[in-house]
Amino acid sequence: MKHFLPAVCHDQNGFVALIELHARTKDCYLDDITIDMSKTDWFDADMCAALGALLYRLGQGLNTITLPNIQPKVETILSQNGFLSHYGRALLQDQRGITIPYQRLDPKDDRFFAAYLERELIQRDDMPSMSAGLLKKFRESIFEIFSNAVIHSQTQMGIFCCGQFFPKRGMIYFSVADLGIGIRQNLKNNLGLDLPSQDAIQWATEGNNTTKRGQIPGGLGLKLLREFIRLNGGCIQIVSDAGYWKQDSAGILCNKLSQPFPGTVVSVAINTKDTRSYALSSELSESDIF
Amino acid sequence: MTKNLVLSLYEIVGSPLCVASGDGQIVYDRLEPALKAGQHVTLSFRNITTLTSAFLNSAIGQLYGTFSAEQIRSLLEVQDMQPDDLSLLKRVVDTAKQYFKDPERFEQAVRETLGDESDDV
Repeated sequence: MKHFLPAVCHDQNGFVALIELHARTKDCYLDDITIDMSKTDWFDADMCAALGALLYRLGQGLNTITLPNIQPKVETILSQNGFLSHYGRALLQDQRGITIPYQRLDPKDDRFFAAYLERELIQRDDMPSMSAGLLKKFRESIFEIFSNAVIHSQTQMGIFCCGQFFPKRGMIYFSVADLGIGIRQNLKNNLGLDLPSQDAIQWATEGNNTTKRGQIPGGLGLKLLREFIRLNGGCIQIVSDAGYWKQDSAGILCNKLSQPFPGTVVSVAINTKDTRSYALSSELSESDIF
Repeated sequence: MTKNLVLSLYEIVGSPLCVASGDGQIVYDRLEPALKAGQHVTLSFRNITTLTSAFLNSAIGQLYGTFSAEQIRSLLEVQDMQPDDLSLLKRVVDTAKQYFKDPERFEQAVRETLGDESDDV
């Protein structure tokens, strides 16, 4: 099996490119899968989370994956963030200090994820300077995304993350992908509500909606993330099953994709030049909470 | 019985990052028997730098499935929280009250969603 991968940017077309790869290879078992990257003239590093999830799934099917003909600049990106070292290539030193390494984690690895985030994102000297309030909101948002994947995906195959920052543009991109049941199926299983995938994502990001059942309430993570990204002027993209949902300064875009992604990807772009303090002048006191 | 039991989140979680639902469960597992015994508890957030709704739902939100709001109000207090963390906790608490008070809300949401769709047809 040979598949030519086109350019993969962190936008709907980029996700479609990865989903087409999945559609062509999803039933492969004990196969040799060649992902020819001669046509991949760009690859946004944070999209390694979604690609890594797909390739890991293929590895579970005992397939042998090769990634030949990688163009030099793409090879540099994918080597510096450690992605290609999972596929037999050398790990390159990140000379410019702009990569947030590709990482696969077990859903139980929340402590490891916390350490990864602190080491690779928060405490780095080469990180763009951000106000204390922004840094706190940023850190909380990333944890909300990870927790959301842990709680809702029911995945056994791990959670995949990767990111990159662009100091001049003042943006950080970070993606978390899982190979779980997806938002649509979650909604169907827990609430008996069978919505198109894109509507299921929209539903999960609204009001107090939650697919959580049982003793532990839920339903805030994605809303908090939406609120922060709106204030920050950033962007969130969510791909789950055959749904694509995006929120940025232009508004909300919700589309049906022609094929499903076998899980969920949440991808955020954070504006590091945001000078909002995020300090609340709330009159809430500790005695008003309960 | 101690007059007031102070539980340090930092001591229980062992980190300034209170982010994982599993760590929240550990906190809940201490809070729940204490409140059941009628013990007044102060939950200290001193030295905690990061909180998530997932952690707070697990640690505190699920208390509303076992105890009434009045019981929680009289037995539990928090201290050393930053204003924005207080605001997050308040949202978690309000959501939990709604979650346990109104089990029909899912069906309502379903009806609303389906209603919206049928309007389009």
